[in-house]
Amino acid sequence: MWKIAVGFVIFAALALYVINKGGDSLDMTGEKHGADAVHSEPAKADAPAPAADASAAK
Amino acid sequence: MATTAPRPMSAEEKKVIFASSLGTVFEWYDFYLYGSLAAIIAKQFFSGLDEGSAFIFALLAFAAGFIVRPFGALVFGRLGDMIGRKYTFLVTILIMGASTFIVGVLPNYASIGVAAPVILIGLRLLQGLALGGEYGGAATYVAEHAPAGKRGAYTAWIQTTATLGLFLSLMVILGTRIAIGEDAFAEWGWRVPFIVSILLLAVSVYIRLSMNESPAFVKMKAEGKTSKAPLTEAFGQWKNLKIVILALVGLTAGQAVVWYSGQFYALFFLTQALKVDGATANIMVAISLIIGTPFFIVFGSLSDKIGRKPIILAGCLLAVVTYFPVFKALTKAANPDLAAAQAASKVVVVADPAECSFQFNPTGTKKFTSSCDIAKQRLANASVSYSNEVAAAGTPAVIKVGETTVQVKYSAEDVAAAKAKAEEKLAALNAAEPKDAKAIEAATKSVKELSNEKTAGATLLGANLGAALKAANYPAKADMAKFDKTMVIVILTYLVILVTMVYGPIAAMLVEMFPTRIRYTSMSLPYHIGNGWFGGLLPTTAFAIVAQTGDMYNGLWYPIIIAGATVVIGGLFVKETKDVDIYAND
Repeated sequence: MWKIAVGFVIFAALALYVINKGGDSLDMTGEKHGADAVHSEPAKADAPAPAADASAAK
Repeated sequence: MATTAPRPMSAEEKKVIFASSLGTVFEWYDFYLYGSLAAIIAKQFFSGLDEGSAFIFALLAFAAGFIVRPFGALVFGRLGDMIGRKYTFLVTILIMGASTFIVGVLPNYASIGVAAPVILIGLRLLQGLALGGEYGGAATYVAEHAPAGKRGAYTAWIQTTATLGLFLSLMVILGTRIAIGEDAFAEWGWRVPFIVSILLLAVSVYIRLSMNESPAFVKMKAEGKTSKAPLTEAFGQWKNLKIVILALVGLTAGQAVVWYSGQFYALFFLTQALKVDGATANIMVAISLIIGTPFFIVFGSLSDKIGRKPIILAGCLLAVVTYFPVFKALTKAANPDLAAAQAASKVVVVADPAECSFQFNPTGTKKFTSSCDIAKQRLANASVSYSNEVAAAGTPAVIKVGETTVQVKYSAEDVAAAKAKAEEKLAALNAAEPKDAKAIEAATKSVKELSNEKTAGATLLGANLGAALKAANYPAKADMAKFDKTMVIVILTYLVILVTMVYGPIAAMLVEMFPTRIRYTSMSLPYHIGNGWFGGLLPTTAFAIVAQTGDMYNGLWYPIIIAGATVVIGGLFVKETKDVDIYAND
């Protein structure tokens, strides 16, 4: 069990480093569905907010 | 009742857990790749499509997640109950892995035209189908290898893979971006994380090939008791169908909304509602996930001792009781200025009710363009609390911020006047000495946007509403000097711990609810409908409620009502399963 714990700590430290390095360019909200998945340009001002799409469906 | 004396996990059992979890890591890896790389993939495969085709592809992408996965649960669940767990979840991982890999080598729209998005969507549908069979297979396989009294602890390992898959995908994506540079990544480097998945696939297939079939299935097959028609047996007989429905509404629906709220909605709430920058929000959520992840094992193991039901339902009940105070505490810790502005200023949307829609938009393809809908979208996105006032029929909506009234729709004359004013300001800035480059750039942008007929109205609304909200002390962004990191991490960790309470014991409980002959089929469907539909619709439903009611916390009613229903139905009708002999009804 201790090996798993140590492995997890190392993995987590590495992940935190990566996320820190990635800044706000990383998207952790999961898979996109619907219009979110096919539209590459930013949402238009009058378009519904991104939250209106079921973007985190799994 | 079968009981065995506690003993350490054997090497074979460790291998079983590892082999099963690896597939689930794969599932999550894939899930996050499609999130992180969505913009690039859309640009590579969908940017050349006309509006009508894009609409169809959007619906198909929606179907890949919401319809195909439960369908996959039926297809592979049936196979798993007829030909065995081992071969079925070998097939699911092969389909999933091959589809992911092919995305990495698939020519884009510029190379092969419309065939590119067609193949991509086809691959995603295949992935969705395989994903529908993967989790049920992994959970069933591990649980059927686990000794009685240890099923909670053993299956809980599968549940930790969500965090591992997330971190793995981020590491591969960022590692590639750093190694080859942003331009090359956008051009071709985005393919690497998909191609890399072949390694994960190779390891998974190698290990799974070396595994034995589940002892429960082998015994059942030897006795000639396998089901000839698992679907009919599972869903055509009320005795089993009743348990499937109870598993859905009394367990997985609540589990799903608590999970989505604790991880995805919390992140969304931090960035979109509380205006915390993405980098800080990501780190806060990642830290809370790291702290919370071991609790999957803690609650899985605990469920072997005190029962699955009390832990899962306690997690749902805590969510019901504490979500409002906890999310309000999150606002105070992350953006106290916003909390103060909401308390101090009165904002009213004055609109003809006939113009206002309930902005539920799961596929993202609907457009809400009436003045009332636009007003509510704008305010909901700015995290402004507002009340509604009825206007005369046919009157365009306006927003009142204190004493200031902001129009939502603008006439051509309004735009022309605003444009003339912006041009005047630009000319004055250009004439002034010394020149203020930033102000000139902003004024130039403003003139440009007001010159565009399509966006001029929205630009004018944004500017006028922004000014009114600024005057009412609404912060455009969270002030990081006032951001209480410790408190935010404590709150997010609490939300993740609720996730581990509901999710840690769920696999064991679902497995124990059904007999071996129809287990794979019966447990996969409620899991995927619960998580795909109840969980997946959380963001869009929450947004629609927020926009409708004018209170940024009201989106929480969705998970609260669903989790509350699960507490009541699960509490009354779902039986505890920890001591169930899973072979008893074979």
